[in-house]
Amino acid sequence: MSARAPIGQRLKEFEEREIERILGACTRCGKCYEVCPMAQYSKAPASDSKAVVGGVHAVLRGAAGTPEALGWIGVCTRSGVCVPACPENVDPKMMMRLARMTALGGRGLPAQLPVKEDPDYFDRVRAFARLQLSDDELKDWT
Amino acid sequence: MSEHITFWYGCNVLRHGDIIHACLDILRALGYEPEPVGGVDYCCGTVKDANQTAAGGMATRTVGKLNARAAPVVVWCPSCHSHMHDFMARTNDRHFDMTYVVELLHAKRERLGPLLVRELPMRVFVHQHIGFNDLVPVNRMVPELLRLIPGVEVVEADYVAPGYMCASFAAIPRALEDINNNTARSARAAGADAVVTVFHQCYRELVGLDAAGAIPVYNYIHLIARAMGLAYEDEYKAWKRAGEGAAALIGAERIAKVGIQFYERAILPELKKRPKLQKSDPGS
Repeated sequence: MSARAPIGQRLKEFEEREIERILGACTRCGKCYEVCPMAQYSKAPASDSKAVVGGVHAVLRGAAGTPEALGWIGVCTRSGVCVPACPENVDPKMMMRLARMTALGGRGLPAQLPVKEDPDYFDRVRAFARLQLSDDELKDWT
Repeated sequence: MSEHITFWYGCNVLRHGDIIHACLDILRALGYEPEPVGGVDYCCGTVKDANQTAAGGMATRTVGKLNARAAPVVVWCPSCHSHMHDFMARTNDRHFDMTYVVELLHAKRERLGPLLVRELPMRVFVHQHIGFNDLVPVNRMVPELLRLIPGVEVVEADYVAPGYMCASFAAIPRALEDINNNTARSARAAGADAVVTVFHQCYRELVGLDAAGAIPVYNYIHLIARAMGLAYEDEYKAWKRAGEGAAALIGAERIAKVGIQFYERAILPELKKRPKLQKSDPGS
């Protein structure tokens, strides 16, 4: 009898490998922050782009992020402008996504950003399905 | 003989049954036999950033269910598509080919064009985002699809919103306000009669501009469907325009299916929500 991998294990292992790769490749040049169209909406805009990326690295390592780093992580909406701007092909969009997961406590570390999950999210999806689909469609399509 | 495909529509597009039904008719007209799947049981897990155990479990479950269908997958939702690309397919054994719906329609445009027989005389502004376009060049492809419709003129977009779709701005209200205002202002400045969205997540937000009387808003599928003579009613827009009065349009029987308390707590506030438009905006 083969043992099944714990739920989400492959995803978590992938994320750990990606974090290791990103931390090894990123030189903290700050280009990703400089080109980001969302930085202006941060609750703690940064003047030092290199330092704010260093704060993101801290979050990825599981340490406390600076207010500037957490502010930037909190407004990342995956524009992706950072990807071609990165001279090291780090994929800063992936860096920020992993930082967001980490800062929200999603990787098992203490949360550093407030988690605002909508408790009605999935029930709302189900409700709209009941409003928009026939009974047969509900049965066969969802 | 038509080709079987799985049409993976996602979760939140279930607000727009007309979009799902129209997509199925369009795909059939292009020679496919689409089998639609979506909703919570097919969620990609991208909404679970705060719980990677749950996200991983949902991804594995959904990849397994799509594998079991043994057919190519055509994806509607940009969040599902990018999550599959970035995480799901890299952490699960995916056994199906996958195409984003805009890519497929664009690839089949020589066959789609002759089906667009009804003239729609209108100048449209295509609401674009910076993101996702690196994965699928929707900002080029959707205007090219719309130009196949007789009478449709696509005006040049001088505003491209940050992010990859509007719904992810719900937690950043100042940015969402900017998107609403910049979209309405740019569309009018370009002489457009209407705003057209690529994604349902943008349509859900920007249809508030329509409900507020600022400018008519459509999804690109609405226009393709109308040009093909498909007569699906955009109920979500009607509900949104009605706001408090949406219950009368939905009807007691359907509201009973979701429960009046849930409707009033979790659905009605969304239907009543309107964008904050700047006072200088002529449509405000």
